[in-house]
Amino acid sequence: MKTPVSVLRLPRGPEPNSRGFDPNSPRYIALCPTTIPASSGNKAGSVTLEEEQRVRSELRERFLRTLLAMTSKPVHFSLYEKVQVQAKFGASDIDILNFQVSDLQTPLGVQKEALLRCQDMISFSFQL
Amino acid sequence: MGDWCRVMPQDWNKYVNHEVRVSAQDKQQYEGWVFTVDPVSASVVLVAFQESGGASVRVVLGHAVREVQVLREADGDTEKKLRSLLTPAGCQVFSDVELKERKERLHGWLEKNLIPVTDEGDVLRVANVLTISAPYGAGQCTSSNEIILARVQSLVESCPQQKNQQ
Repeated sequence: MKTPVSVLRLPRGPEPNSRGFDPNSPRYIALCPTTIPASSGNKAGSVTLEEEQRVRSELRERFLRTLLAMTSKPVHFSLYEKVQVQAKFGASDIDILNFQVSDLQTPLGVQKEALLRCQDMISFSFQL
Repeated sequence: MGDWCRVMPQDWNKYVNHEVRVSAQDKQQYEGWVFTVDPVSASVVLVAFQESGGASVRVVLGHAVREVQVLREADGDTEKKLRSLLTPAGCQVFSDVELKERKERLHGWLEKNLIPVTDEGDVLRVANVLTISAPYGAGQCTSSNEIILARVQSLVESCPQQKNQQ
């Protein structure tokens, strides 16, 4: 049996039963932009709003598929200050703030399980 | 946070399937075909096809994007290649005609089984408690009443000639 690892508590995320963003959580206030770009209701007609929503969902679906394709693959992360690390990607949270990875190969050694803050990354890549 | 994060989704969509050069922080530059731009984090997904047949995918986080430059316009071939790269193999694309056919067939089948069903354009509505959206399989039935849902789903599954349901 595997020995359990200690878990670092993050500030409270979105409510488990809600549809995602809890705009009152400290984490959301600290990290998320309060608005995502959208045309305001009175300026644009409902047709353009609907079109915008369709485009947004299509883009998002493609992005989520990218993350799905990335699960349990070795991913190369380029962080700030020219730090390069490699790890096996596990999961991401909905607002792309943290990645859960396994076998993180750091300059100091291998970390079995880790959370990477997306704010620290410039880019990451993997092979298909 | 740069201006890239404040762009409207429609404008991000203009880059999709184009070959671009993304200038990121630390003066790094990445080139590739844009698969998508995440509307939440503004991250750009770039795909570079390799001669061996594989592909390498690079995601540049939205907050690190400084500039995006279009190198080459989209073409049909790459568009298809990009789409097939990351969509699951079991995915099936229906044409408008096929969808209409499927809807009509299911509509007829439900009526034949004395289920009150109305056609509301893209969706079929059953007695105001259940909707069936495209492509009209058992997996597309939505209802808050699980008993009705189970009944209608089994009926949809037994619909003759409605194959390849997902």
